[in-house]
Amino acid sequence: MSDRQRFIRKIVYACIIAALLLPLSWLSEPATTESDGGLLAQMRAEHRLSQSTLGDIDPASETIKLAMLGMRGVAVNVLWTKVNDDRKRENWVGLSATLEQIAKLQPNFISVWVYQGWNLSYNISVEFDDYRDRYYWVIRGIDYLREGTQYNRKEPRLTSDIGWTIAQKIGRADEHRQYRRLFREDDDFHGPRPRSQRDNWLVGREYLLEAERWVDQEGLPIKGKNPVLFHSHPVMCLINYAEALEEEGTFGEVAKSAWNRAAESWEQFSNRDMPTQYSFFVRLGDKELFDERAKESLEELNRLAPPDLLEQMLEERIAALDDEQREAYYLPPEERDSRQNEMMLGINSLLSISHMQFADRVTGENRAAALKAAEEATQAEFMSSTIDLARDNVNYTYWHKRCALEPQDATLEARKKMYDAAQAFTAARLLESRELYEDGLKKWRKVLDANTFLLEDVNLVEELSYSIGDYVELLHQLDEPMPDPFILQDVLVSCERYTGRAYPGAPANYAIPLEDEPATDSAAQPDDEPGSDADETAPPEESSDASETPSPEPVDDNDQGGTKSSGEDDAAPPTDEPADDAPDTSEDPSPAPSESTLEKSAPDAP
Amino acid sequence: MVLENALPPFDVWIGPALLFFGVAVAMLAVLALLAGYLVAAFRYGPLGGGDVVFRTLRTAVFDLFSMSPRRIAALAWLAIQESLRRRVLVGFGVFVLILLFAGWFLDPQSTDPASLYLSFVLTATNFLVLLMALFLSAFSLPADIKNHTIYTIVTKPVRPGEIVLGRIVGFATIGTFLLAIMGVISYFFVVRVVDHTHEVEIASLEPIANDASGAVTGRTTLDANHRHQVTIDADGVGSTDTVQGHWHEVDAVKDGDETTYVIGPPRDLYTARVPAYPTSLRFKDRTGRGSDRGISVGYEWSYRSFIEGATLASATWTFHNITPERFPDGLPIELTVRVFRSHKGDIEQGILGSLVLKNPTTGRTSGITTFRAKDNQIDERFIKRKLTDPEGNPIDLFDDLVSDGQLEIELQCLDESQYFGVALPDIYIRARDASFSINFLKSYVGIWAQMLLVTSFGVMFSTFLSGAVAMMATAAALVLGFFSQFIHEVAVGIVEGGGPTEALMRTLTQRNQTTELEPSLTKSVIQAVDSVFMFFMEWVTSLLPDFRRFSDVDYLAYGFDIPPNVLGIQVVSAIGYVIALSAIGYFFLRTREVAR
Repeated sequence: MSDRQRFIRKIVYACIIAALLLPLSWLSEPATTESDGGLLAQMRAEHRLSQSTLGDIDPASETIKLAMLGMRGVAVNVLWTKVNDDRKRENWVGLSATLEQIAKLQPNFISVWVYQGWNLSYNISVEFDDYRDRYYWVIRGIDYLREGTQYNRKEPRLTSDIGWTIAQKIGRADEHRQYRRLFREDDDFHGPRPRSQRDNWLVGREYLLEAERWVDQEGLPIKGKNPVLFHSHPVMCLINYAEALEEEGTFGEVAKSAWNRAAESWEQFSNRDMPTQYSFFVRLGDKELFDERAKESLEELNRLAPPDLLEQMLEERIAALDDEQREAYYLPPEERDSRQNEMMLGINSLLSISHMQFADRVTGENRAAALKAAEEATQAEFMSSTIDLARDNVNYTYWHKRCALEPQDATLEARKKMYDAAQAFTAARLLESRELYEDGLKKWRKVLDANTFLLEDVNLVEELSYSIGDYVELLHQLDEPMPDPFILQDVLVSCERYTGRAYPGAPANYAIPLEDEPATDSAAQPDDEPGSDADETAPPEESSDASETPSPEPVDDNDQGGTKSSGEDDAAPPTDEPADDAPDTSEDPSPAPSESTLEKSAPDAP
Repeated sequence: MVLENALPPFDVWIGPALLFFGVAVAMLAVLALLAGYLVAAFRYGPLGGGDVVFRTLRTAVFDLFSMSPRRIAALAWLAIQESLRRRVLVGFGVFVLILLFAGWFLDPQSTDPASLYLSFVLTATNFLVLLMALFLSAFSLPADIKNHTIYTIVTKPVRPGEIVLGRIVGFATIGTFLLAIMGVISYFFVVRVVDHTHEVEIASLEPIANDASGAVTGRTTLDANHRHQVTIDADGVGSTDTVQGHWHEVDAVKDGDETTYVIGPPRDLYTARVPAYPTSLRFKDRTGRGSDRGISVGYEWSYRSFIEGATLASATWTFHNITPERFPDGLPIELTVRVFRSHKGDIEQGILGSLVLKNPTTGRTSGITTFRAKDNQIDERFIKRKLTDPEGNPIDLFDDLVSDGQLEIELQCLDESQYFGVALPDIYIRARDASFSINFLKSYVGIWAQMLLVTSFGVMFSTFLSGAVAMMATAAALVLGFFSQFIHEVAVGIVEGGGPTEALMRTLTQRNQTTELEPSLTKSVIQAVDSVFMFFMEWVTSLLPDFRRFSDVDYLAYGFDIPPNVLGIQVVSAIGYVIALSAIGYFFLRTREVAR
């Protein structure tokens, strides 16, 4: 190769390099304050991948990542193993230091912050016997999460978890009275925040609202959280705040105002657009509207259809069954064997008639109107059932009623009387205490008579049963028998149903005196009479609530407070615990609306 | 402080250790002789081979007795010069760099910053010095042989043993020098970083309820991520509570009408307790029947075992050598108990426990002393000489409760269905406090011994391996040494999941460690292969030094004096390895042409 050829080749190379620099510049020009930068910079900004858009840039974190020379994964594995070992060997100083190192290595891995923040607040804290030590580690976990938000700004999951831990861990732990007191006194945590605003439920709510704001205003994804639960947390904080006030002896206008605020917030929550898995939004408060619409459409459909059409269609379907199926169908339920019971599932499905099938059999001039009415009824029922599913996540109906009930003077007075009675009993003012108890019990009677659904609230029933237990103890000290019949007998029945005992300290063979009070009967009946029409005794949603234990609020599953049991260690980090048992609308696809899902139930065996 | 594998007293350890050393050396010698003879017999025939072996041994004995400390010192000096030429001081620079930025990586909210910083500087020093020793020792001799500079030495009247020992001594000297500098810097770094003071928040001061003396209480400012509660008496003298392992003295300074409060430096931040540990711990179960251990409450870590409250269950420690001369005023004991609650109980109160002193010979006991357990904290208590018996009669600690220097202390939990967990070292008599500075110095003995071991391994391997391979071999010895306990537990079957082959098979078939393998030919073959592996693993780990036993970080970090027996065992073990590795290195070097 001659010198000339070599020279030409070099020139060509230089030209190619220069030409390549142009697209390279277009692709990778860095973003500045005045320009969005090249394509890569824009994509990084769009997908929130660059460090500067995620959160603060920490030189220590960057240094340690670089110093790992590509062995970051190995180092992280070693450190996670060390954390587990430190925890096993109760080396809390080492554990805490290792968590800091993990955070430096994985500053933008949200699960690390979430998991280890939970680990500190929920698992490590309960390793200590002194509640002050426990509180220190709860706050340590919260601080860890707050540190995570510095590296990951606008991360709803992290911010929501901070709010959750402040609210639920401090407010629901066995030591919640002590924690709440320490939290109020914690100047180092709160800084300049006035003491009057240092309630854990309110502070937790601030973080939850901030997370909600980012989701609403900036469209940031919730990632793995049930939207209904996610949006219910702030309002539940207000409800819990009001409850906490009463538990600590604050009644009157303060409590009333707190409950009114909660009720107002619940109303806003009811009218919030909630995403569903069907790519449309619903409002929890709209269920009654759709129920009414469905009812009207069905009435219209029934008016348009011949009077005996349903019976006729049913007879046709029964006739289409084979002999074996028909035999099973006509047998009374208690006489069916297991195979026949199993067969009944299919039979019921065959016999069910959808609104559209029903309308399709209408002939003549009414046909078009009947089909339209059937479609409207189908749509309205579908919307109602979708809202029902969403409502179940938060036990909507129960809390809706509580929010309406609690600000009432009668309820507030009933609660205050019982609180004062307990205080008087503790102070050994027995006669005064008895008077207050009896007054309080009477007031509760009135409240329960007006709101029978309260008997299905295990928390309330248990709370009342504790008061009744104290009352019985008081009577015992006064050498007086328990009144028979007892004024809150239905509460004792409910309590025994839920907890196995009528009230704490009740003798194991304690027989609850039977009483024929309407309130008791009405409370017990919906479950006992499967064939009854729910509409006649209570609103439809009430009967569904009655069938489940109303523990609607995120329950502090991991927290067993003073008791350190092996089970509590390995609980999962907080996601949306309360909803674990409930259907998750974002991940549990139900069949799309179809005729088969909207049934006119066939009557059970004659 | 947790002492899971406490070392025995030196006089108890040295006999069996020497015996093991002798047996190991003898076995290795026999194996080496056999191997050497086989190689020589292969090359020179059976008789010729025997002759070679004999001559080698004779020369070795001659070399051993002809070794000159002067020549070793000269070779050591050469090694030092070589180290300096290879810029060994870069390691020192790295160390300073690490300290400069240490604050970035350490937990600012640590509950015990002194412990954290001490652990950090010692660990950083340890790894840097070991790395330096590894590189220096493994590459030196191979580089000399490769560059033929070794001829400038071997042409002089030096013996192979002197070359090996000279390098070990030289590298160890330079390592010791670096270690000393790092130690001094570390000491001042930790003391400076953790040193702090506070100010009293005047607004927080308020009279103590139900106290007519005029004492006030309040709190300090938030400094170094913590604050204290202060209590100041009417004379203006006070102190803070203990937070993060230290407290401060508080003095009021009056200037006219104004009073300012001066808080002193942290106290008890750096301690070196000299504990007199009990010699045994016995338990009684809930029915009062004796047992070696209490019950398990389900913790994975079985270091402590538990006694049930409000039953006959108890834990009894026996102390020896308790004399009025050692403890003329009484016994300053420090107790740590772990509390396990099976029910919530009274959250505001600690669990109630009791201590009773007992004469092991006569069975006479003191009256019961009750206390609220401070879970997982050192509870300092003082047992006075003048006590009372259960009937309230006065008794003397030494006259009535100590017999032949022996004393028993019995612990019980008094709250029903609650539990106390204890281990043998959880109670001790704080005999005295040693100097923290000297304790800090002592903590470097363990690191020094490790450095000596790595240097010896590196030089030994470099006598017959190339530099890179020698470094890998030394690193392998180091890693095996750090994980020797785990490897030993795998080898003897304590760790579930079988040996290496079975573990590989479980990994590939995605079976966890505890799944029982179905009886089959594959299982038999795997276990047969593993038994060979495991025998080899056990053999190797029993010969290699357990490097973790050379670490004294915990003693220093938790404020305990490093016992002389620990230092003695570490130093003697290290010297034993140096001797053995030098001998092995000598024979390997003899096999090299350059050393003949």
